[in-house]
Amino acid sequence: MDKNDGCAPNPELDGRRLMSIPRLSHLVIGLLLLTPMFAHADSLAKIRERGILRYGSDAEGGGPFIYANPKNPLEVTGFEPELIAKLCGALGPKPVYTYARWDTLLQVLRIGDVDVVFNGYELTANRKREYLPTRPYYIYQLQLMVPTGGAITTWDDVKKPRSDGRKWRIGVLGLSSGDIFANDEAGPHVEVVSFEGATDAMMATVNGQVDATLQDLPASRFYLPRFSTLVAAGPPVGRGYYVIYCRKEDAQLVEALNRAIGDLISNGDLKRIYDKYNIWTDLQEELLDVDPVLPAVDVPKQGLALVWQYRWSLFDAAWMTFWISVMSMPLAMAIGLIVALGRLYGPSWLAGILGGYVEILRGTPLMLQLYVLYFVLKLPAPVAAVAGLAINYSAYEAEIYRAGLQAIPAGQMEAAMALGMSKWQALGRIIVPQSVRIVIPAVTNDFIALFKDTSVCSVITIVELTKQYSMLGNSTDGMFEFALATAAIYMMMSVPLSVFSRWSERKLGLGGDTPKGGLV
Amino acid sequence: MIEASGLIKRYGSLEVLRGVNMTITPGEVAAIIGPSGSGKSTFLRCLNGLETFQAGRVTVDGMSIDANTPKTERAETLRKVCSTVGMVFQSFNLFPHRSVLQNVTEGPIAVLRLAPAHAEARARTLLDRVGLLDKIHCRPRQLSGGQQQRVAIARALAMEPRAILFDEPTSALDPQMTAEVLAVMTDLARDGLTMVVVTHAMKFARQVASVVHVFGAGLVIESGSPAQIFEDPQQASTRLLLAEVQVA
Repeated sequence: MDKNDGCAPNPELDGRRLMSIPRLSHLVIGLLLLTPMFAHADSLAKIRERGILRYGSDAEGGGPFIYANPKNPLEVTGFEPELIAKLCGALGPKPVYTYARWDTLLQVLRIGDVDVVFNGYELTANRKREYLPTRPYYIYQLQLMVPTGGAITTWDDVKKPRSDGRKWRIGVLGLSSGDIFANDEAGPHVEVVSFEGATDAMMATVNGQVDATLQDLPASRFYLPRFSTLVAAGPPVGRGYYVIYCRKEDAQLVEALNRAIGDLISNGDLKRIYDKYNIWTDLQEELLDVDPVLPAVDVPKQGLALVWQYRWSLFDAAWMTFWISVMSMPLAMAIGLIVALGRLYGPSWLAGILGGYVEILRGTPLMLQLYVLYFVLKLPAPVAAVAGLAINYSAYEAEIYRAGLQAIPAGQMEAAMALGMSKWQALGRIIVPQSVRIVIPAVTNDFIALFKDTSVCSVITIVELTKQYSMLGNSTDGMFEFALATAAIYMMMSVPLSVFSRWSERKLGLGGDTPKGGLV
Repeated sequence: MIEASGLIKRYGSLEVLRGVNMTITPGEVAAIIGPSGSGKSTFLRCLNGLETFQAGRVTVDGMSIDANTPKTERAETLRKVCSTVGMVFQSFNLFPHRSVLQNVTEGPIAVLRLAPAHAEARARTLLDRVGLLDKIHCRPRQLSGGQQQRVAIARALAMEPRAILFDEPTSALDPQMTAEVLAVMTDLARDGLTMVVVTHAMKFARQVASVVHVFGAGLVIESGSPAQIFEDPQQASTRLLLAEVQVA
């Protein structure tokens, strides 16, 4: 980096900086892609030397796979931690749980921050092309869970049209096998609603926000006793394999793990663990000598062609992002203005209440507010998204307006009152129009922030741009391509916003830039 | 027209007005002079409600408020007072987001509910009178201080007030601009407008005012015709004040 603390512009230096931006990004990208190739040539030896095997997993995904130990929330428990403890017992190193969001685990594996991914990851052809799977440690099926006494009693019911002509809404954990299965198999009468957590989908089923949820059998067995109003609908459907994923070059590690898994199957330890968690099924007998055959899939497209293939999905998601933003921001601005005026010019009891409103909304996470609107107040997801963002941002807008209003000299209010205006007339005609001009840059800034915060709405099943990126990136080989495309789409939407902001600042500025009369 | 009796105003323990009495009759031009901090401006701002007071009574054109008038009634009365009595400020306080013309039509349209065309015609006449017809589309910040103050006077006149309060209208202006503003005010005085003028412009007080009130430490210490005050002041502090002005 150039060391130049001076403030004077240096055209030569600036030129060099401009040049260095693409070079730097190429470098970063290149490093990201190259790192695994030379940095982790022989992980098994390294793991043994270290004495630690870092397994990537997401305890927020829930039981019975891996979850916080109720007796000691700082520890994780579940059939997977027990399983890996046994496997490591055979291998030598100590297992260390390493958290990453479930849908990013494979990327974390790629960059080398974990040694294996071990968290109910299904064996798929796409993943197998990029990573090395072990032999299966569980044969899963999918279980439909429905409210007691509901219209759906088996999986076949969702293939029939609903009596009122609308679609069945099936909640799934986004990107899970249930998600993929429901999308592939459910047919034309089903709308698949993707949640960020398995229990979120169950909660929405209890609330009646979806008609049913399709879950991995272990999860359904684990949670059915905890959701007393839900029941299993019919026999499980589908079939697939949970495997441990390693990096392509770690063949020795995979071989060692395969041997260890085989031993656990044949000596009965595996069954003992699965029995403990009530997830043993007769199907598991096949684990001993199963040789998964994956359906042949086309080598997926890459680069621009891949992005182009999914252009309409991206467009729809971008539209959702845009729609939520332009619906919620004007609301946030209106509420914020009312709150600011109430705080500054209202009676003191109102000012107190509004002060509390601002502090509570600024002091709690947006995600929590969305959860309350969706899961507690049970608003429809798009309404909850717009309302949540509008309410959350209204607190910030209120503070901006408050500063803007206070920046107007007291003489303006006095002059207006001295003309015989009421306080509210003076505010509406004299004070607010002037402060609007002051707050435009800050409000635009918040609009761009809100625009990107729409991604938080994915926790309440909204598929906006970031969520779509995560879904596409994970279900194809195009994590990198879709990241670039998504960033570009965000830019394409936010840059015009900045331009508009600068334009409106100029347009609404307090004059003086184009003198019409003589200046003294 | 305007009557104040026993006005007491405190800021905490500081007593700014200590029982001010004053009567202003229609058509009178009352100049209020006095040293800085003697309470002149505060007194003026009590007359149209920009300041509250702790004791006493103000009556404007038959409308009366005292220290105990309930809040809503006070606001209601003051709105009527303000549409009857205009005010011109030391720092002009024009509306920067409005053109010169809009500054003058703002009150009539918002408060008097005049049709915009009617308000605009009135504004043009008044801006012509203060010599600024060629600036009607300018923004206030494009004008000199003297020009801004003349717009402010036109803005007050547009309400067709029964009286105008001037709060040191020339203190922020250099001598040449002071002259142009005082010329407009002299013109208004000749037309018989009731004016209460807090000022340091002694020449104006002497030549244009019909009554001069001298403030000292929160009280009116002396009142009289300009001739009395300027040629034969009775109070020592008045003599001192005038001597200082003379030297300056």
